[in-house]
Amino acid sequence: MADAFKNWQCRTCGYIYNEADGDPMEGLAPGTRWADIPEDWECPLCGTPKSDFDMVEL
Amino acid sequence: MSAELDIPKEFAETIVDPKAYAEEDHLQEVFTKLRADNPLGIARAEGFNPFWAITKFDDIQHVEKNNELFHNGDLATTLTTIDADKAVREMMGGSPHLVRSLVQMDNPDHRNYRMLTQNWFMPQNIKKLEVRIREIARTFVDRMADYGNECDFARDVAFLYPLHVIMEILGVPESDEPRMLKLTQELFGAADPDLNRTGEVSENTEEGVGSVAETVAEFMEYFNAITEDRRANPTDDLSSAIANGTINDEPLDHFAAMSYYIIAATAGHDTTSATTSGGIWALCENQDQFAKLKADPGLIPGLTEESIRWVTPVKHFMRSATADTELRGRKISKGDWMMLCYSSGNRDEEKFENPFKFNVERMPNKHVAMGYGAHVCLGQHLARMEMNIFFEELFARLESIELAGVAKRMEANFVCGPKSVPVRFKMA
Repeated sequence: MADAFKNWQCRTCGYIYNEADGDPMEGLAPGTRWADIPEDWECPLCGTPKSDFDMVEL
Repeated sequence: MSAELDIPKEFAETIVDPKAYAEEDHLQEVFTKLRADNPLGIARAEGFNPFWAITKFDDIQHVEKNNELFHNGDLATTLTTIDADKAVREMMGGSPHLVRSLVQMDNPDHRNYRMLTQNWFMPQNIKKLEVRIREIARTFVDRMADYGNECDFARDVAFLYPLHVIMEILGVPESDEPRMLKLTQELFGAADPDLNRTGEVSENTEEGVGSVAETVAEFMEYFNAITEDRRANPTDDLSSAIANGTINDEPLDHFAAMSYYIIAATAGHDTTSATTSGGIWALCENQDQFAKLKADPGLIPGLTEESIRWVTPVKHFMRSATADTELRGRKISKGDWMMLCYSSGNRDEEKFENPFKFNVERMPNKHVAMGYGAHVCLGQHLARMEMNIFFEELFARLESIELAGVAKRMEANFVCGPKSVPVRFKMA
């Protein structure tokens, strides 16, 4: 069974990346896992690097 | 600053002119020409120190993101004449700022002061307010319906709904909301004789600075009482977070605390009001987009986002370079003053297809209206939630809407939006 989808949050602005929803505006299809997003990807709202996101429970 | 990089004098005068932001069309023509011919040029407007006019989306993001290289607080954070800057510095013991809020701060203060309320503004926290905000939105849709089939959407609805939300969040009683609205409009409409404290054109003069300082003092007096109350009776509201906040185990500096309230009590509603009324104005002029929304309410988040880009209620912020650097192949010297022209960035043809078309299906729609980098708007998630909820409640009942007169924007080059949007409508 696949792992449950997770949420990742930007420490600067609070943007939430939800793996289940993806982010079509960013070209990330629903179901795109955090690990599959390129390491040089940045927060779409403020430009914070991917490394400065935290996994959060919502 | 080499003269060969100057933008035409007439363009420089336009981009500092509050009236140009009210009329907008000519301003956008100027920005379009600048993006094409001299996207990072020097503006020399009468009465102002020279500054770089940054008109391209990518350059605005670059400056915003590099917040150690480009400071907010070293010089005036908004367009200020030499005379007004002198008057402010004389009044404030050498500081170029009448208030000291997050937008006037750099690190480490900016980080420390932002962290005080950051969690409060996170999506998972403001989601707790959703039910209450929906109740408030329904009240205002009902109020609009009570007008029959005509109202001034800006004055009768859009000014009041976000005001009520943020004042409830701050714990300001409803009876004081008219006073808060008036003070906000005096501050952001300081150049507009319909809105400012004196009823005359006086911004950016010594007299204008004095008038704005009186408004700031009135705000501070009001929020001082709120602070004392929340220190004695703390709750989990935003005012308590500010009143009881500590930095390095010390209570907040009083002036910074008062400034924190002021930014929340002004930017916390005026920008959302401007965007909401500007979005409705745009829909009145783009009935094809209204029809799409009626057919598919799932497009409402797109309406909110496009309204934010379209209105761009914060027209500019200033930055200054902390070291010599290069941008777009041009040498920026330490101490140079720079204007981030958000309205221009949000019409940048390299970033937005058909940028002068109001399009609720625009995708992607990454704009710079909320800023970028460490100073990105702290209240952006609240603002989006408020607008989405309001539009959901409105479109559930609204059958048609059109302009019923001439809509007008305020005269302001900093925070600017509609001051009147007369509409004729049918509601179920």
